[in-house]
Amino acid sequence: MRIFITVLGLFLFGNALAQTPPLIRLGRGFAAEEQLWLMSARPDLTPNQGKRYQLKQILFQANPERFQAYLAGELDAGTAPGLAIIFGRAQGMDFKLVASICLEAAGNHFTTVYMVKDDGPIKRVQDLKGGTIGVVGIKTATDLWARAGLLRAGLVPDTDTKVVPMAFPVIGDAVRTGKVSAGVFVEPFYSAEMAKGGLRKLFTATEVLGYDHELLDIFFSEKFLKANPDAVRAFLADYVAVTKYYLANTEQAKTDLHKAGFVRTPLPVYLKTSDWKRDPNARVDVESLKKLSTFMHDKLQWLDKPVNVDSMVDLSYLPR
Amino acid sequence: MRYLEKIFPFVLIGAALVIWEAAARSGLWSPLLFPSLAKISAELVWFFTRSAPLMEAWVSLQRALGGFALAAAVGIVLGMLMGRSKFVAALLDPLFSGTYAVPKLALFPIFIFVFGIGSLSKVALVFLECLYPIVIMTYAGARDVNRALLWSAQNMGASRAAILRRVVIPATAPFIFAGFRVAVPVAMIVVVITEMVSSADGLGYLVIYALASLRTDRMLAVVVVIAILGYALDKAVVLARDRLIYWEKLDTYYV
Repeated sequence: MRIFITVLGLFLFGNALAQTPPLIRLGRGFAAEEQLWLMSARPDLTPNQGKRYQLKQILFQANPERFQAYLAGELDAGTAPGLAIIFGRAQGMDFKLVASICLEAAGNHFTTVYMVKDDGPIKRVQDLKGGTIGVVGIKTATDLWARAGLLRAGLVPDTDTKVVPMAFPVIGDAVRTGKVSAGVFVEPFYSAEMAKGGLRKLFTATEVLGYDHELLDIFFSEKFLKANPDAVRAFLADYVAVTKYYLANTEQAKTDLHKAGFVRTPLPVYLKTSDWKRDPNARVDVESLKKLSTFMHDKLQWLDKPVNVDSMVDLSYLPR
Repeated sequence: MRYLEKIFPFVLIGAALVIWEAAARSGLWSPLLFPSLAKISAELVWFFTRSAPLMEAWVSLQRALGGFALAAAVGIVLGMLMGRSKFVAALLDPLFSGTYAVPKLALFPIFIFVFGIGSLSKVALVFLECLYPIVIMTYAGARDVNRALLWSAQNMGASRAAILRRVVIPATAPFIFAGFRVAVPVAMIVVVITEMVSSADGLGYLVIYALASLRTDRMLAVVVVIAILGYALDKAVVLARDRLIYWEKLDTYYV
């Protein structure tokens, strides 16, 4: 009798384990990933969560740390800028880009802005010769756009104009006090600095590259994709549904995110900030990534060899 | 026995390298995260055969030595004054002992605003970090001067200046050099960290650049260069100490 009960218990326990949906350990950042955060802030919007997959979002301050955690086997997926994914693939990392989060796009969308002192001597990009541009990190998207702006104006980055990393919150004061000639601004810092006044736009990310392009994407490890294709499909189905909800109910979604602690910016400021372009179907603009990759290789010499962008994108897991 | 003592440190280093290589080749970790010694060596060759990375090392070295030299000049004077003057000690001791434990690196953003993003903010922070060990060691040394020597000099009619020059400074010199040995690696550490935080040049910038490019092998090669520089600077301090304080050789009896 005892043996029977033990075997039955083990069977039931094993069965319960087998039915537990796969856990997705996803490394996230701290900006522009609203629809992804909403999946945790409003699980009621994600019918598959808890049934076909489980989601654990882990915050990282920067891409290198996120990739190190991924390489150490602590993450199954993550968010990263398109150029960081290109860097990773260039070094042989085994991940696939499966969905888009947001794009730098012209029009009524927010695009990253580089600003100078309103009454300062920098009237055009050429005036940055001998000056300094503050970006958020070396070899980040903000670094790439700064260099693209300089190259477009006929200046040689690092030789004619220095590019230095600094934190977003201090860039406004650094520009005002003349510690740097120009600085990069994203929301909500852009709105906050514009409200203070004294700064003026010099160029934007889309202006210097000349085309709309991927800003943030979602990647998954190839191993996880092969082992749990249904979980990834379910996750992306929820993700697309949440993206559509976010686009249709932005104010409510932002309020919920603020309430859940994903955003620390004061709510009135956060609600007023303009937003990046988000594709409702989360389709990745592969052509823009190809252009970025070519630019990184040909103009910036950031890549030893070109990266095969087609091989690093797999959109087959997205809902049809 | 003496032969063993000489080769033992190298055996330890060799063993550490073998363990590293075995771990890198074990396949337990991604080679991107845990590169082999061969890859790191190749990056070291890259470093030492190109002018650009050598220039970055030179920039860092200048900043470290600049801040250290300033700290040495100011620190010796302050330490001596604190050691030989009750009034100055009462004035400055609470300030130094009260703020010694403060991580001065946390003040770097303020330094950037005051001194700018270039070398000056980094040199200023190196100066501040190095000042403490030099002042405190010099202070301890200046207070530790053998009274019998001071009395003897006074009995022989030596002036205050002569006593300072012929007795106090030589007696304090070993302490000053002990302070230097603490301050020199601190200078390298502070320079590299400040360059990692905000800089467009230097070894810290190279570390961040390599990390952002997912080039752990190159990053580790730069770390090795930093270690070599730190070791060389420490040996230079020891060499200077042995030359200048020739009368006091370290003679420790181990039990």
